[in-house]
Amino acid sequence: MSWTYAWWIDFSRAVGLPEAFQYDFVARGVVAILMLAPLLGGLSHLVVARRLAFFSTTLGQAALTGLTIGVAVGVPLEDTYVSILGFCLLVGVVMAFIRRHSRLPADTVIGVFMAFTLGLGICVLVAATRSFNVHQIEAVMFGSLLTITDRDLVLLLVLGTLVGAAVAWAYNTILADSLSPPIAAARGAPTTMIEYGFVVIVTVAITVSLKVIGALLVEAMVVVPAAAARNLARSTRGYLVWSIAIAALAGLGGLFISTAWRVPTGGAIVLALSVCFFVTLPVGRLLR
Amino acid sequence: MSKRKHGAAKARLDGPPAIELERVTIAREGRTVVDGVSLAVEPGTIHLVIGPNGAGKSTLLSAVLGQTPFRGQIRTSFRGNGVVGYVPQTFVADRTLPITIAEFLALGRQRWPVCLGISRGARARIGEILERVGLAGMERRRIGELSGGELRRVLIGNAIDPAPELLLCDEPATGLDPDAVLELDETLVGLRADSGTTVLMVSHDRAQIRRIADRVTLLHVKVQRTGTADEVLGDAASERALS
Repeated sequence: MSWTYAWWIDFSRAVGLPEAFQYDFVARGVVAILMLAPLLGGLSHLVVARRLAFFSTTLGQAALTGLTIGVAVGVPLEDTYVSILGFCLLVGVVMAFIRRHSRLPADTVIGVFMAFTLGLGICVLVAATRSFNVHQIEAVMFGSLLTITDRDLVLLLVLGTLVGAAVAWAYNTILADSLSPPIAAARGAPTTMIEYGFVVIVTVAITVSLKVIGALLVEAMVVVPAAAARNLARSTRGYLVWSIAIAALAGLGGLFISTAWRVPTGGAIVLALSVCFFVTLPVGRLLR
Repeated sequence: MSKRKHGAAKARLDGPPAIELERVTIAREGRTVVDGVSLAVEPGTIHLVIGPNGAGKSTLLSAVLGQTPFRGQIRTSFRGNGVVGYVPQTFVADRTLPITIAEFLALGRQRWPVCLGISRGARARIGEILERVGLAGMERRRIGELSGGELRRVLIGNAIDPAPELLLCDEPATGLDPDAVLELDETLVGLRADSGTTVLMVSHDRAQIRRIADRVTLLHVKVQRTGTADEVLGDAASERALS
């Protein structure tokens, strides 16, 4: 898998970047960001259109709980993808089901699940730390370049490609359903399947992003690129392009900040995303 | 909208009704909003549902679309292209969403993701639709920038292309100026005559009801009366419903 990031090492040497940027783990981080930007940036405008921003925050917290459950039952830390994905899917699908069938407002239902996953995560975390060091899961909470392995890149490539293909295949139907479920239903769109299918897609995308961005901050990568892009875009096409561009720019910027100042990658990326959002606010007004 | 003139509706087709509701009951928050409604909408007819606010008209349409749970039976019978068009009463999409009219209309008219561009074929069709609803040349306008009447025209254009076999309209004239309402009526009558489209529509406009309705149902939780416009309009209950 080193061929995917060897080019970065050659490039950083050629342009004379400091030695810290030539390490393998930084190169793996760059490749991970370049794969995550189209994945999360591309999904973000659909997440915002479907008003699932708060939902993705809850999934990030559920990922942390899934991780601690996995560790608590004895799964090695590096093999916790299954417990993270399994718990997130369970939470996401149950949340979507109750959202559809409850008379409560959607944000209230999501808020209940957010509290539940966080409470459960904290309890299991305390129980689990009797058998392992809590600092081991910091990487998943806040994101860390050091823990990204070749296997993570392969997983990101494979699952990212599958998610991208699924979204491209169903894009028009998903967007039509986001705008008006009754109009989409009249045209034969399977609205229930779209709702649950999109939850699965977002869950998979969040799970494969955790090591780079962190469970507590992944929501930012799913929401802020679209929020910033909306300030600039005049069409769906522009919305997608700006979302991906902002995700890539903030991702790489955050990674450089993280490498240069030794701060958690996730936090640095979120700061960079926030800067992008605040810059696009006045720029968007000027463009109108 | 279409300026073509049309004759009377074609002779009714034999066979089952296009839509048949049998003892349909819908409850919300513990309150019955539609109670035991039985109704048959014949193919190739324009059937209007009238009634006061809260009578259950929009809820009934939503149930026909499969968007609202109900007790009883709703059967639809298709013999043509099976296309269903729907013009909603409200369109609650986020108005800050950057989507153009062309992109919105392309969603149901091309397989290629709209965010990657609009195909030449879809673009041509969209041009025709916009010309038909009086919005020619407005492809690049954002949905969020449209007035209520313009948005209503876009929704009507979306629903009538391709000519649907069944068209469900929930107060489609809301926000339209008088000329546009007349054009809408001509479009609906034209669809019925040219394509045999069955129209089930909610309306409050007495003049429109008289102009286009083949059948009218007065609904107030239960079916109060069904018949021709002359049979249903004019009595005290209808007057109250439309006042």
